[in-house]
Amino acid sequence: MEFGNSGSLSEDGIHLDMDRLKKGEVNLGTSIMAVTFKDGVILGADSRTTTGAYIANRVTDKLTQVHDTIWCCRSGSAADTQAVADIVQYQLGLFHMMNGKLPTTQTAAAIFQEVCYANKDRLSAGLIIAGWDERHGGQVYSIPLGGSLHKQSYAIGGSGSTYIYGYCDANWKEGMEEADAVNFVKESLKEAIRWDGSSGGVIRMVVLTAKGADRHLYLPDTDYKVRHQ
Amino acid sequence: MDHRPQAWGRPRDDVYGAYDASYLHDSGPKTATQSPVVTGTSVIGIKFKDGVVIAADNLASYGSLARFNNVKRLRTFLNSSVIGFGGDVSDMQYLDRLLSELAIDETYETDDTPEDDEETTKKTHLNAANLHKYLQKLLYQRRSKFDPLWNQILVAGTDGEGKPFLASVDLRGTAFSSASLATGFGSALAQPIMRRYAETDEQAAKLTREEAVAVVKECMKVLFYRDARSLDRYSIAVVTKAGVELAEEEQLEKQSWAFAERIRGYGTQNV
Amino acid sequence: MTSIGTGYDLANSIFSPDGRNFQVEYAMKAVENGGTSIGIRCKEGVVLAVEKVITSKLLKHGANKRIATVDRHLGVVYSGMVPDGRHFVERARDEARDWRDAFKTPISTADLAKRMGGYMQAYTLYQSVRPFGITAIVGGYDSELESPVDGEVGSGPSCGAGGKVAGKKHGGPFLYMIEPSGLYWGYYGAATGKGRQAAKAELEKLDLSGDENGLTLEQAVKEAARIIHVAHDDNKDKEFELEMSWISGHDGPTKGLHQEVPKALREEAERLAKKILEGEEDEEEEKDKMEE
Repeated sequence: MEFGNSGSLSEDGIHLDMDRLKKGEVNLGTSIMAVTFKDGVILGADSRTTTGAYIANRVTDKLTQVHDTIWCCRSGSAADTQAVADIVQYQLGLFHMMNGKLPTTQTAAAIFQEVCYANKDRLSAGLIIAGWDERHGGQVYSIPLGGSLHKQSYAIGGSGSTYIYGYCDANWKEGMEEADAVNFVKESLKEAIRWDGSSGGVIRMVVLTAKGADRHLYLPDTDYKVRHQ
Repeated sequence: MDHRPQAWGRPRDDVYGAYDASYLHDSGPKTATQSPVVTGTSVIGIKFKDGVVIAADNLASYGSLARFNNVKRLRTFLNSSVIGFGGDVSDMQYLDRLLSELAIDETYETDDTPEDDEETTKKTHLNAANLHKYLQKLLYQRRSKFDPLWNQILVAGTDGEGKPFLASVDLRGTAFSSASLATGFGSALAQPIMRRYAETDEQAAKLTREEAVAVVKECMKVLFYRDARSLDRYSIAVVTKAGVELAEEEQLEKQSWAFAERIRGYGTQNV
Repeated sequence: MTSIGTGYDLANSIFSPDGRNFQVEYAMKAVENGGTSIGIRCKEGVVLAVEKVITSKLLKHGANKRIATVDRHLGVVYSGMVPDGRHFVERARDEARDWRDAFKTPISTADLAKRMGGYMQAYTLYQSVRPFGITAIVGGYDSELESPVDGEVGSGPSCGAGGKVAGKKHGGPFLYMIEPSGLYWGYYGAATGKGRQAAKAELEKLDLSGDENGLTLEQAVKEAARIIHVAHDDNKDKEFELEMSWISGHDGPTKGLHQEVPKALREEAERLAKKILEGEEDEEEEKDKMEE
């Protein structure tokens, strides 16, 4: 077997080839999005995780909480994005305790960006940060591959998003009612799932408002019509 | 078999042979060189009588995907210089933060200057020429670490004598200054047009502000016609001794498309 | 100073039997000998002022500033040992920068005061150090606007973000004073240094409530100039220069920045201050005459 000579020797003496490990990694070939609306922000995602063409997990939860009302959508390497989300969750918890005030979406976005930018040559992580706070209301930030930070009124990401740029641009409205925003997210993700082989399964959503975080779940066998959660 | 704890979990020498210790070398080549991901296209600038005009469109591309269409790529520094960024947006943001910290350091310096001592203030103030030199050193340092900041940058403002200043620096730390400058596609498409109006500093010194703005707007139009990574919304700044005037939501005007009506087929066809 | 000779005043980190840290108290003595510093918080911003004692005629007029900028929106003035104050400022700048690096947003005045309070307090704990010989006044204006992440690009919806909680106030002018013990409070008006008693008495007469009828920023500048002059005893004290800085909101004269008060306004304020003081003296003289 060919091992190549890249990589480094870890402390226990076992040779690890990072490039080889990365290649076999579980990827979130994904459709994710987050939208601002009248009362806050909504995150949405499909639930498919693949290794190549094999679906490693068909009910993945790609919506990850990093603070009470600050969440993120993960795309790219599952391991990388989980590690990054864990770091930010820790940092935001620390921020809350040390400063006696809630972190804002900006605080989260800043920490996310620093991690993604500083480790850009090691990470494959495409993240959307969405959060609600008293002062700024609902906000959406996008951090694509290189680690840049983009404030947006709505953001889409993952492999499936390329199929819905037109749909989203044509149907997007500022300041929607909650029901309309939920519908916008659902219909967009349905299209992404329809056209992207790496996206599929259920549609998960999280609605963040002054009332806190509210989860939604829609299943493919009922054509995503019924809310199950 | 070797039962010492040091050998636990390792391939058995008697079965697999001695461990290849060549892997122990951890000083192999370092591969930090990245490639840009989210990118901005050309930046163009031209000097005139009292200052410099600089412009860049508001697009950040993701490969060929026009992903972010309200990214402002002109950044002001202390209301006296403007920096236009082409190339990687994450590195632009890094530089932007670095420069705003530099600007805060500047306020510390002016703190210690008596207010009636304008000469000192003028000399200690970080002008566009100083800023450009700083960026050149920084970008060269980073390329020498094989970890370049993937940008092409134009710096516009005034030099130590208060004369218009325009210079570029790229990801290798290569720097130029000229009466007009352009990065990326602009160096092929906009530069020849700008040179028609200002080949030398002497010619640039005859241009009025209005003329310079018109030339830049014309160039932005040509770039929109011919650069597949460009946008018709752009930012434009005029930098003079008096300060910076920046407009970030400009729309290309008076485009020429109607002639498409006369184009039929690709050769002999005329219906 | 009944403590002298008991030995409990010789080092930090040793309490006297009645629970005092004499080193800290001596540090406060150093402060009490320094030129008066004051800070005024009003509805539109903060004014800092200091009585800069001229220790030599060979010093350049207007040089050697005593009020320092810490971050764009933050200023510090102090009374006591100037080199200690310089070090305090240096540390405050480092703290402000660390915050910016970590969170990509300016540090709030309260957070800076908290960190610097902690820093000063640490110098009361160890045998190997002495407390700071200064009391510092920290003034700042935390932006009322929505703060972006430093360097961010793009924007939210043009109709503004939805779901904001209405009626809550964010940001505004803040003023803190930090003592050698590390103790710090938020103030409407703060004074320290030689003339603090007189200055405090004057500050208490002002309407610093921040409501409609409260002092405006420009009035605060004039009051600050007057108070520094009141606190200065012409007969006993050496000559001084008045140094003043101010911080307004984004819609005010300094646009949220900590800046030196413009020369014209400062000179006007000083002229008015002197006029008022001379008037008072005249009145007093007249009173004296009537009593005769």
